[in-house]
Amino acid sequence: MPVTKASLTIDLTSEEMRRVIRKLGRHPNTVEWGMFDIMWSEHCSYKSSRPVLKLLPTKSPRVIVGPGQDAGVVDIGDGYAVVFKIESHNHPSAIEPYNGAATGIGGIIRDILCMGARPIALLDSLRFGSMKSGHSRWLFQYVVKGIADYGNCCGIPTVAGDVEFDDSFETNCLVNVVCVGTAKHEDVTPSEMRRPGDWLVLVGGSTGRDGIHGVTFASKALTEKSEEDRPAVQIGDPFLKKVVIEATLEVIRTGYVRGLKDLGGGGLTCASSEMAARGGVGAELWLEKLRLREDGMDPFEIMLSESQERMLFVVNPKGLDKVLKTFDKYDLPYSVIGKVTSTGELVIKRNGKIVAHMKPEFLADAPVIFRKGKKPTYIIKLKKMPKPPMPRNLTDTLYSLLAAPNIASKEWVYRQYDHEVGVRTILKPGDSDAAVLRVLEVPNKAIAMKADCNSRHCYLDPYNGHAGAVAEAVRNVVAVGAEPIAMVNGCNFGNPEKPDVFWQFREAVRGMADMCKALGIPCVGGNVSFYNEDERTGKAVKPTAIVVMVGLIENLDRVTTLSLKEVNDVIIALGKTYPELGGSEYYCEIHKVEGGKAPKADPKREKASINTVLQSIRAGYVTAAHDCSKGGIAVALALMAIKGGLGVEVDLEKMPANKMRLDELLFSESYARFIVTARREDANQILQLAKKNGTPASEIGTVTTGDQFLLTSRRNPIINCSVKKMGEFWSQTIPVMMGACQ
Amino acid sequence: MMPMYLVEVVIENKPAARDPEGETIGRDLINKGGYEMVKGVRTGKYLRLKVEAKSEQQAKDLIFKMCNELRIYNPVVHTCTIQVKGTEK
Amino acid sequence: MKVAVIQFPGSNCDLDTSYVLRRVLGVEADLVWYKYFDRSEYDAVILPGGFSYGDYLRSGTIAAHTPCMKHIQEMADEGKPVLGICNGFQILVEAGLLPGALLQNSCLTFVCKWVTLRVETSRTSFTSLIPSGRILHMPVAHHEGRYVNDEKGLLELYANEQVVFRYVNEKGEPKPESNPNGSVDNIAGICNLEGNVVGLMPHPERASEKILSPYRKNDGLLIFKSLLEFLKCGMSEGGARCQ
Repeated sequence: MPVTKASLTIDLTSEEMRRVIRKLGRHPNTVEWGMFDIMWSEHCSYKSSRPVLKLLPTKSPRVIVGPGQDAGVVDIGDGYAVVFKIESHNHPSAIEPYNGAATGIGGIIRDILCMGARPIALLDSLRFGSMKSGHSRWLFQYVVKGIADYGNCCGIPTVAGDVEFDDSFETNCLVNVVCVGTAKHEDVTPSEMRRPGDWLVLVGGSTGRDGIHGVTFASKALTEKSEEDRPAVQIGDPFLKKVVIEATLEVIRTGYVRGLKDLGGGGLTCASSEMAARGGVGAELWLEKLRLREDGMDPFEIMLSESQERMLFVVNPKGLDKVLKTFDKYDLPYSVIGKVTSTGELVIKRNGKIVAHMKPEFLADAPVIFRKGKKPTYIIKLKKMPKPPMPRNLTDTLYSLLAAPNIASKEWVYRQYDHEVGVRTILKPGDSDAAVLRVLEVPNKAIAMKADCNSRHCYLDPYNGHAGAVAEAVRNVVAVGAEPIAMVNGCNFGNPEKPDVFWQFREAVRGMADMCKALGIPCVGGNVSFYNEDERTGKAVKPTAIVVMVGLIENLDRVTTLSLKEVNDVIIALGKTYPELGGSEYYCEIHKVEGGKAPKADPKREKASINTVLQSIRAGYVTAAHDCSKGGIAVALALMAIKGGLGVEVDLEKMPANKMRLDELLFSESYARFIVTARREDANQILQLAKKNGTPASEIGTVTTGDQFLLTSRRNPIINCSVKKMGEFWSQTIPVMMGACQ
Repeated sequence: MMPMYLVEVVIENKPAARDPEGETIGRDLINKGGYEMVKGVRTGKYLRLKVEAKSEQQAKDLIFKMCNELRIYNPVVHTCTIQVKGTEK
Repeated sequence: MKVAVIQFPGSNCDLDTSYVLRRVLGVEADLVWYKYFDRSEYDAVILPGGFSYGDYLRSGTIAAHTPCMKHIQEMADEGKPVLGICNGFQILVEAGLLPGALLQNSCLTFVCKWVTLRVETSRTSFTSLIPSGRILHMPVAHHEGRYVNDEKGLLELYANEQVVFRYVNEKGEPKPESNPNGSVDNIAGICNLEGNVVGLMPHPERASEKILSPYRKNDGLLIFKSLLEFLKCGMSEGGARCQ
């Protein structure tokens, strides 16, 4: 029995609709149907994913706020906490990349801000179709511009991220954005209403018909009609956001804000019901008090609107005047739109008349759907793919890999991001495996951050690929000298109603959960984006759960970069290489095949190499460190050489590995591996630590003066080329493809 | 010799979409600057083209097709107004 | 001796600038909300970087019309030091305190990178401690940093020694490759006739601590140190360095 409101239909299943009626004990009116529709949509309620996400470990001694509120909060000592979250804006960006990406950034900033934290950094994790596609280049260009314009205008540096190009993302790009903030423990503000009598103040942008049903739009696959779905992409206002940031932080310092939540997906319905439900109280809203941007808006539209830049403050009556005066200082528009009550009911009124009412828990507690997963047939088929032949000229192979879009320099991207604002950025994009920002308020403390997920590995083996994503993110923060303390994940999958997609999702989460548990890393939040699939062809994106890792550094003298530093430094390889080339850049870019055995994630091996590197860095033995990922050992060494402007001489026979083909040794993307360099007198210490921790390690060569990049095996040069020339291949691809001047 | 038509293309955010730039200019520069009688500001992009075509209608149709094909505006969020302003003398 | 760092709606580098003044240099500095600016309390004023009013219409133009700019103009007329960094430079130009205009970068994108500068004159309140010809490293981060002026304006700038900073290579040569935005004659910063009002696109506050600089230097601090020196000695005739 579909209920229609103008041309909008309700997306709940018949069973869900019957459940609503049962819970309320009556038929809902149109406004109430709309509220349930939005709150029980996949995007707002996570109904398909909650049972699976339960697998993730969420606690640790440092966790102050775990998943469930607007962002995770993790203690970093000295009375401070790091606050971070990830969000996706895939569907809007696919049809309007500039505003889609910009409003994605706007949304994630709000999530951190409404926990009472000052946003200090942004990260972006992007996936597009092949760079050969004009459509994908268009999306890439405008997504980056959207992120740049919004983040730069707000004065928050975008400091790290990753971009991958693969055909599976051609019609469904992925735009995942992360915000990191810091806060004093006492300023952390919960997303709840708790005390009857508290005022509800709506601050920021006015309410229009923006994005009505934007959230349910994200819960359906894209169709040709999507291009006409006008209300679904909003125009952000970073200037207003910046004013909201400063006003909010100042108002929080008054001490009178008892709860705070931003209005994102699900608008006022979501914010009011979740806050009331969390505090176990009721609330009364007066819709005539809202500032409306458009004429003739009815209660349905007001409750479902997703107009940008709006925050709902819960204010102690004693301080209302002071709070409102602060908003006046910033010329920030606001309205007092309601009150917290003790009735336990959410009552929506307009001009005195009740237009909707229900217990907020009903809205916030959508029924869970237990979906079925089935291992897709491609998994076994692709694993059996025969090995391609080894190329004759491995130097040329290396050049091609360095020029491959997934490996090539991303400088074209981060030149457009102001990564210096805030005077915190110690390690800038390109310097190292993770970005490092100092905590200004506490001397000698810094936070490292990185986002990772190898979509190709994850397609061939969702379990190991995603366990590997956690491991890689850990390795990246460790490589700069940080101890990993928490992560969030952003899941991006196809249609969960299809058993093979749901299997991918479940395996992915299982993989992340197992690795997190083994390494002692809590997951303090996340995002799930389903329906990333072209409805016409049924083609889903490669399963991609982005892992964002945050690490802590407590000695700024030990922050490490990846560039080679001094001639005669010793090069040490840590961790064993296995012939696991499934999903590697080498197979995909050079041989144009998708298949084979993807790398296996082993928590024991990870722990061993991670502990070795962290201990070595903290003891002061390491001069450069880089984890091995895309392109394997060859690319890792090449990047270190290019960045340092120095050469290397390496004997591949010394690599910790069993006998294997040379191309496999060079380009395998096995996990748990690092390359580190050390002064001659410290090298042995590192090898001792490796032995103690149980990770295979050996000296494989030295840093040389001049321009020669030489990798030998049994005295034969296997790769022999100019570092400068490698640098040219590495740096040209993206600017040339994007037609950049400069 | 085909005539050379002068064509104006104006790209704006759709009326239902916000125009934060227009709002800010209107509020913080124009109204606060003493011009309270200005009650609304919308911003846009302006292109002035010279187009070889057989007729005014052909010029207009051509440019409409071009704006869509080359994504000079995005119909998801923009309106595109095309006007022919005579010929080049 | 107190410095005001003006906060406009949308200013981003206010906290950074006051951090350097207070925590790195130990100078008394206030963050002043543009509505509350009282010039009688301050000996110098800095307009920080950022996106005042979202850079809407034209960078710096809406801020240039705010009431506090009148007071800043008066401070400038009294010979007090006024520094405009990045967006601050744009505001000073829009307000007419500095000549010329700042247009979109010639590469049409926002650019964030470290550049090399050459100091062209030590006669300003912000370069009194920096010998002419000295090379400095600082980052830029802007979309509209291309300084332009007409022929007559440029001739005047040169005649009156008003070019303060120029983009150069490591050898000190003003080459096109060293110029991040296409500004005329590689101009990165200028001053007014008297030398007490200076505007520059690069961010000295981001280059005042070695830990933030890829060169492990704190060149940016010299600009703030020069200000400090100037304030200690007081104003002297013709902007000459005090003894």
